[in-house]
Amino acid sequence: MSAPAVNGDDMSFKIIQPALEHGLAARVGRLATANRTPLETPTFVGVTSRGAIPHLTPDVISKHTDIRAAYMALEDFIEKSSKRKSPAIFSLPKDGCRPLHAYTATPSTTYTILAPRRTPAVVAQNGNGPKHISVLTSTGFERVTCENFCTAVEQIMPDIVVPPADLTFSSTTPGAKRQAYMVKRTQEWLDEFFTHLDPEKTLKPSDIQVFAPLLPLSYPIQWEYLKHLAEEHAAKLNGLTLYDVKILHDLKNHPQLLDLPRMSMESPESPQQILRQVRLGVDIFASPHVNNVSDAGIALNFSFAPSSTGSSGLQPLGIDMSSEEHQTSVKPFMEGCGCYACTKHHRAYLQHLMNAREMLGWTLLQIHNHHVMSEFFRQIRQAIADGTFEEKATQFNKYYESELPLGTGVRPRARGYHFKPEAAQPKINKAPWNRLEGEGTPDQVAAAEAAGLAVTGPAAGGSETPLVPEADAAALAKEGFAKIERA
Amino acid sequence: MAATIASQSSAALKFDLVARCSTTRARASCLTLPHGPVQLPMFMPVATQASLKGLTPEQLEETGCRLCLNNTYHLGLKPGQEVLAAIGGAHKLQGWQHNILTDSGGFQMVSLLKLANITEEGVRFLSPHDGTPMLLTPEHSISLQNTIGSDIMMQLDDVLVTTSPDAARMREAMLRSCCKEMIARDTPGIAIGGLSGGEAKADYCRVVATCTELLPELKPRYVMGIGYPEDLVVSVALGADMFDCVWPTRTARFGNAVTKHGVLNIKNAKFAVDFGPIEEGCGCICCRKGDGGLGITRAFVHHNTAKETVSAHLLTLHNVWYQLNLMREVRDAIMADQYPAFIRRFFANLYPNKADYPEWALGALRGVGVDLVEDET
Repeated sequence: MSAPAVNGDDMSFKIIQPALEHGLAARVGRLATANRTPLETPTFVGVTSRGAIPHLTPDVISKHTDIRAAYMALEDFIEKSSKRKSPAIFSLPKDGCRPLHAYTATPSTTYTILAPRRTPAVVAQNGNGPKHISVLTSTGFERVTCENFCTAVEQIMPDIVVPPADLTFSSTTPGAKRQAYMVKRTQEWLDEFFTHLDPEKTLKPSDIQVFAPLLPLSYPIQWEYLKHLAEEHAAKLNGLTLYDVKILHDLKNHPQLLDLPRMSMESPESPQQILRQVRLGVDIFASPHVNNVSDAGIALNFSFAPSSTGSSGLQPLGIDMSSEEHQTSVKPFMEGCGCYACTKHHRAYLQHLMNAREMLGWTLLQIHNHHVMSEFFRQIRQAIADGTFEEKATQFNKYYESELPLGTGVRPRARGYHFKPEAAQPKINKAPWNRLEGEGTPDQVAAAEAAGLAVTGPAAGGSETPLVPEADAAALAKEGFAKIERA
Repeated sequence: MAATIASQSSAALKFDLVARCSTTRARASCLTLPHGPVQLPMFMPVATQASLKGLTPEQLEETGCRLCLNNTYHLGLKPGQEVLAAIGGAHKLQGWQHNILTDSGGFQMVSLLKLANITEEGVRFLSPHDGTPMLLTPEHSISLQNTIGSDIMMQLDDVLVTTSPDAARMREAMLRSCCKEMIARDTPGIAIGGLSGGEAKADYCRVVATCTELLPELKPRYVMGIGYPEDLVVSVALGADMFDCVWPTRTARFGNAVTKHGVLNIKNAKFAVDFGPIEEGCGCICCRKGDGGLGITRAFVHHNTAKETVSAHLLTLHNVWYQLNLMREVRDAIMADQYPAFIRRFFANLYPNKADYPEWALGALRGVGVDLVEDET
């Protein structure tokens, strides 16, 4: 990889099609740095788990997706180990390349976005302190100070960084006192961030862009922080990170911040919610929703400009690929889709893979679903540019159902860093193995997996892929598998 | 392409013998199947349920694989014969343009299904769902494989592990009488099965050597369920051509990388800060840098083993490539009539100390004229 060019002008966000009033409506832009393919906005970014887009190897990402940016969490890289003084990623030699890219084998055209926490983040019961945030590594909760975070940024060199904010990630709104702390600490930490990482001496020469966090609090609570951002830091910022898009309404009071790209961390659960956020002026979406949809066995089935087939009724946004109705269907997952999965495979295969719990099922769904999202955003950009966005968004809402279907398939195994088990909470993972009646010896491999020693994914299973008919004898005989013996 | 020494064709396949090792019984050949030619000796990865554990058919193709396995009875259960027939077979089901070999299912049934037992009529088992006694006959097996549409089918076999203490039963099931009967039936190819069931390696080698001695030269010889690199290299010297095993892909999911210096457990903490490729000098897509290579480090694989499926996929890609490439190198060595030298290099890479060479391999290779202990000249 070539050494990053030291030229501040290469790092920019250009609004190509401005919104009409105060920049608080749908707009088209382009985010560029010296190193990467420019990001056309509005767009979405791939959300990684431990530096990997779930189920997609880097060759598949390069070849079969249009993922141009990857969201990564520092907490995924900094587990404590008795064998090492500092996390492994910090030992990576820099020699001309960006360590975060090299470590995760992220394609060189793709942006890396580093934030302290995963999205969605697991709530830390102990909360944050005046000088630290709590993060969940795969070996447990850790404290990360602003200084720790800055050292990491300097060391591993993401393309875009989201400085730490005092967030609770809880579903309930924090009390008034807590809210005041959140604002105060986030502001202090941002000041501290720029003391540790000087924009002129460190950030710009290293081509690192800063997207300052805006809190999920009402404007009256955090207006002073916004004012501080606008007056003290606007020139150092390259973007804003929104933990709640409602704050966008009040951004007009701070014109210095209006031209910055806005990344939403508020996960839209449907394309309609994406359209709502685009209409508010969101440029970049960092949403784990696509990953969740794929894990649920759903193939997305929408387009921003659907070719009207004249069929009556609201169209479904997604198709449950575990459903038996697809067993012999050689149709693509979505009619007219040009993705690798739809052009090379069909519903029957995907249904079989989901039914047989083969890992390839999730890979194909990730390829397809990311493709549908890329196309959706491409069409959104085009519609904004040619002035038809509002009209098409209205049509979209009329054409499709408002929610995605729930998948009926078995999800991949959840790992310790996905959730924090609480007392009396039902098990997240269904036990993959139970003793068969009358069977004496438990499968050793299954036991190893239960003990967390090995095996990735449920399909990895035991010593061999089990061969246990789920159907009864009559069904087996009908299928021609074997015949029933009369005693 | 080397000139063909001798050929034999049947309706199902064409076998062209291309080279013979002048010392061992190793041979190189080309097998032409309905979905294209494959080069022997070869290793076949196992896509049990019509999917090679997380790899797309395109990724499998990129490793150079042109013949993979599907398991008959797994496909018989899911998606089932009716669905397979409606779709038009396993190639269409999984989007695989190349060859497929299906097993007979006999071994699978006995080893995976408790309460199964092989009799003169077929495999008797109790349906685990409702306990109904059922019988699966050779006709069921062939009918299923016909629906799958495999390029190479296996007939239902009488499986008896070679470690069976019942010597009389053993004699009845195996070896000379069996080989002769198989030859008499003039099948397009011969499989040596029932091995890899935990027998001593020396016994395994004796069985393979005995069979290859009796078998006609112009038929492919497939030893079922064999996959450790040293087993492949020795078996080729004994005259075997084709192998399959789930080990390389299964061990990948446990975080193990197969390399020419042995198996590395990437979960070991020392790999957390090892920023080298999975195997130095390896040509697989993971290990290569630039030119479409991914530049994957051991550190990143370590970071995600048993955590994200991506690490399992990366190691699966590497291991499958390793196995196929090993067989490509084996073939090249036979073609150049350098196979004994190849065997020496192979074992020297695997065991830095000659004293560690496994006894069974030394014995088996000595039987075909290669002495690994003797100094190279």
